[in-house]
Amino acid sequence: MYFVVKVDKEKCTGCKICIYACPEPNVITFLKDDKKVKINGMKCKGCGLCVSACPFKALELK
Amino acid sequence: MKDGKLKIVPVFEDIMPQEYIDLVNNGLFGEDYGVEDLGSFKELLEEHPLCAGCGLALAKRLIAASFPNPEDTIVVGTTGCSSLSFTQMALHNIHSIFGNQNAVASGLKRALKIRFPEKTKDVVVIGGDGGLGDIGLGMVMHSWFRGENFATIMLDNEAYANTGGQESGMSTLGKVLNMAPTGKKFPKLSLPQIAYESGCVYTALVNPADAKKLGKIVKNAILMARELGPTYVQIYCPCPTNFKFKPEETLDKLKERRKTDYKTQEFISPEAKQFIERLEGEK
Repeated sequence: MYFVVKVDKEKCTGCKICIYACPEPNVITFLKDDKKVKINGMKCKGCGLCVSACPFKALELK
Repeated sequence: MKDGKLKIVPVFEDIMPQEYIDLVNNGLFGEDYGVEDLGSFKELLEEHPLCAGCGLALAKRLIAASFPNPEDTIVVGTTGCSSLSFTQMALHNIHSIFGNQNAVASGLKRALKIRFPEKTKDVVVIGGDGGLGDIGLGMVMHSWFRGENFATIMLDNEAYANTGGQESGMSTLGKVLNMAPTGKKFPKLSLPQIAYESGCVYTALVNPADAKKLGKIVKNAILMARELGPTYVQIYCPCPTNFKFKPEETLDKLKERRKTDYKTQEFISPEAKQFIERLEGEK
């Protein structure tokens, strides 16, 4: 089973804490127009660090 | 990219990999980006072979985002987990013999000064705790005694993680590892103090949980190394594979150690203090 992180757009506030916690480069990108994050699932290793870092519980491993 | 140092030959536009096209169009080169802008530009590091939840990967990603002059930076590395992702980094790099990294960097920096007297070329040593703290300690300390103009960054995962988990000089007292079943018998080396006494103008102990602070410290260390003398930065990088915790607990481990002995702190000499004040004045 392959897990990657998914973002809940309603809970995301665009604080970028997950971006500073992720060890994989270019996985989480910040969308400037709606101030939310976007996940590139192809590069995610599913370590779950961003999930434990998110203060708003907007990220989930699926 | 502003200055067009990196560009694609028009004929090959359609066969270049997407990552390279992103690097040219939305890359770090020639721009004034830092750690706080992460997520809005293409990073220098790409898909690397380090484990999920690796602290080294996190630290390296933050370091790569905070180089003040990435197009003219040469990274010198040495054997270990820290060297596994050099080939995925869009920077010039040299992989030296185990422990030789600071000797190689000394020669490289001097040669670059003679070859390109009008340009500023930064040399940065990035090594693990084995290469810098145990096997290469002689070379590391002598580069500090000689006052060589480059920054040394240690990614401290407190073990020889690449070879299966032997204890290193930087492991904490009593730590039991895969290949150190009786526990470590002597305390962790306090390399920041040694560095400060050996002639480093700026020494810092960094916890990557303070990501923005890490970026600022690495930037300061590299800028200071250009003019004043050797600088040393030690970054804590927990290893989920050898220390037997889940990958998602890396951040908890970082925060736990921040409360005890691994909080971000700087050892600043008087001339370094003047330099920082000058930098802040320029802004």
